[in-house]
Amino acid sequence: MEHDDLITRRQALSRVAILLGGAISAPTLAGALDAATRRAWTSPGPDWAPRTLDPGQLELVAVMADHIIPQTDTPGGRAAGVHRFVDALLSDHYPAAERDRFVAGLADVNAQARSRHGKAFVECTSDQQVALLTALDEAAYPTVQIDSPRPPETWFFRRMKELTLVGYYTSQIGATQELHPSPFGAYRGDIPYSSVGRAWS
Amino acid sequence: MITYDAIVIGSGITGGWAAKELTEKGLQTLMIERGRDVVHRKDYITEHKPSWELPLRDARLSVGTKGAEEYPIQARTGQFRESNKHFFIKDAKNPYVEDKPFTWIQGDQVGGKSLIWGRQVYRWSDLDFEANLKDGHGVDWPIRYADIAPWYSYVERFIGVSGEKLGLPQLPDGEFQPPMEMNAGEKLVKAGIERAFPGRHVTIGRVAILTQALNGRLPCHFCGPCERGCSTGSYFSSQASTLPAARATGKLTLLPNSVVHSLIYDAGKNRVTGVRVVDAVTKQTREYNARVVFLCASTLGTTRVLLNSKSPRFPNGLANSSGVLGHYLMDHHFLAGASGSIEGLLDHYYQGNRPNGIYIPRFRNLGDDASRRDFVRGFGYQGGAGRQGWGRGAGERGFGVELKRQLHDPGTWSMGMTGFGECLPREDNYVELADKTDDFGIPLLKIHCTWSDNELAMRKDMAASAAEMLEAAGCKNVHTYDAYRGSGQLGAEPGFAIHEMGTARMGRDPKTSVLNAYNQAHDVPNLFVTDGACMASSSCVNPSITYMALTARACDHAVEELKRGNL
Repeated sequence: MEHDDLITRRQALSRVAILLGGAISAPTLAGALDAATRRAWTSPGPDWAPRTLDPGQLELVAVMADHIIPQTDTPGGRAAGVHRFVDALLSDHYPAAERDRFVAGLADVNAQARSRHGKAFVECTSDQQVALLTALDEAAYPTVQIDSPRPPETWFFRRMKELTLVGYYTSQIGATQELHPSPFGAYRGDIPYSSVGRAWS
Repeated sequence: MITYDAIVIGSGITGGWAAKELTEKGLQTLMIERGRDVVHRKDYITEHKPSWELPLRDARLSVGTKGAEEYPIQARTGQFRESNKHFFIKDAKNPYVEDKPFTWIQGDQVGGKSLIWGRQVYRWSDLDFEANLKDGHGVDWPIRYADIAPWYSYVERFIGVSGEKLGLPQLPDGEFQPPMEMNAGEKLVKAGIERAFPGRHVTIGRVAILTQALNGRLPCHFCGPCERGCSTGSYFSSQASTLPAARATGKLTLLPNSVVHSLIYDAGKNRVTGVRVVDAVTKQTREYNARVVFLCASTLGTTRVLLNSKSPRFPNGLANSSGVLGHYLMDHHFLAGASGSIEGLLDHYYQGNRPNGIYIPRFRNLGDDASRRDFVRGFGYQGGAGRQGWGRGAGERGFGVELKRQLHDPGTWSMGMTGFGECLPREDNYVELADKTDDFGIPLLKIHCTWSDNELAMRKDMAASAAEMLEAAGCKNVHTYDAYRGSGQLGAEPGFAIHEMGTARMGRDPKTSVLNAYNQAHDVPNLFVTDGACMASSSCVNPSITYMALTARACDHAVEELKRGNL
């Protein structure tokens, strides 16, 4: 999955990604790695600190990520470090304008929480948080297809959801506990899905 | 100063082949590469790295992103990502001038683009070699299929090609290892298309990827992203295949970090005597001598060297008495096709990341009733089917436990394909030297290239025929697409297919071509050009195996001519 802003080109390219083999990312088998290496990849060191987000923004991202992909029988977005991934992207990947737009979107979430409930998003109850995210989700994904461009204020939630999915399913937790990587070895073009039971990460 | 028997400029797909052939035939060979060394296995620094070990999770580094700051051109291609950016050239240090957008993707290292190429390999046929003669575009090829067929076999046996034989005259069969398997969606679409369109075929891609061990290289283990490098040598690269063979002779000297400025020409002897090199690190100039020179520096790299090799005898570039050097630049045009969804098959899945897709051989303008009046030449399709992954969640409403539960399973099947179309050779698609020079004192290349009406008419058919076939196969929600945005815009612009070719074409007549039937310069007998620059037309199939076969054939000829004392 790609996360860039060039929609037309991206659409064309994503179609090519399918046809050029569909091999977009291929995490290796985690079993081949020693436990210390795996810990180093999934947990931040004691020195880790956000470089773009302030602690409040980081917590806001973590709370939203955990609503989008919550803990079930496998860990959710926070445990998978989606907020750390988002900070890395904002710091090392996004053009300044896109980074600022995302950070402004965070501020807007808090503004909406204050206007509805008189407090910042992370201080709202879980039900209040879910209700607010549901409203953002419904605005961002209208059920009736409209040809006109989506209103710009829906950009943030779509992007937040996309980053949560990328951050989660490419994390070790998402890629090896919730889903699983396709094993190396033979290619088998037609196997019963029931013999696998989970999507390949 | 040592005089080598041969100098090979470039270490990519054709340079590697030239070095292998020349050293195996006993020539002391110097291979000069402008980029850094890349050591097989050791320098595949992202191979098999899991996504979570890549800080950006292998983001595509599109134009404008921070990781693309030094790569504003390379970042145009969707192939340019966090995990492979080190195998692309830094544009900031290697500028060129675009008249209109021409995306020049370069691999600046030992191995060149052989590390990151698409690996699809298809033989040309006489349909291709006769095309210029028959429709009058370009000059007649000086060779026919029979001249190159044994060399295709020779190359295929060495590099290892997996694929299926079809017995089609327009896409000759080769020496294949067992084909990779199609998935359930592709099998369904194949059956539908072949039922509805007798004479059209859907086959698995013919790829330079092993399905059986070969010369110490292992069969593919289907990890997926070949372009990170392959320690098992399962796909053809210079590192895995030709360079080890050349080294084994003890006759190869590899010189990385050495930018060829120009060739040294002796008018008295009418021979190239050596090359001028600028050290990429110290910027100092050095010279190397040899009895024969092979230019394998990539289509435009090669032509830039020739244009910059000026002398009183050749004031407009070496071996350019014809004046056509730099002209007749081509690329394939692609990203016009269709996609659709496949209903059902929800109990069908696949295992392994197959670095290959399906191929639909050319069916247009074969001289039968599928011929068209609105364009000449033709196109093939590459494509594939798959089940949607977790990324689909970003395009739909919903979050929370229910979304996570849904994404636990793969989504529905979809199938996509794009045409790869032939591009006509035209004089007004050309490159020239600009006034500005780069850090090495070499004039920048200025590129002029646009699609003609023939390509644009063909694209309409590429999209419409793709949709027609998908619908006939029962696909739903079929959409056509065409990424071309108009002349002067980015989007399927020339160069984007990374199949740039031509500019030092082969031909029968020294007055209208640069090279003869053996890739030997008409004007200078000990100068050979065997990369994509040599092409007189473009066919619609991926070109690399034809470059390899032409290189091996040219090496054979060069060594025979050396023995005869003719060089």
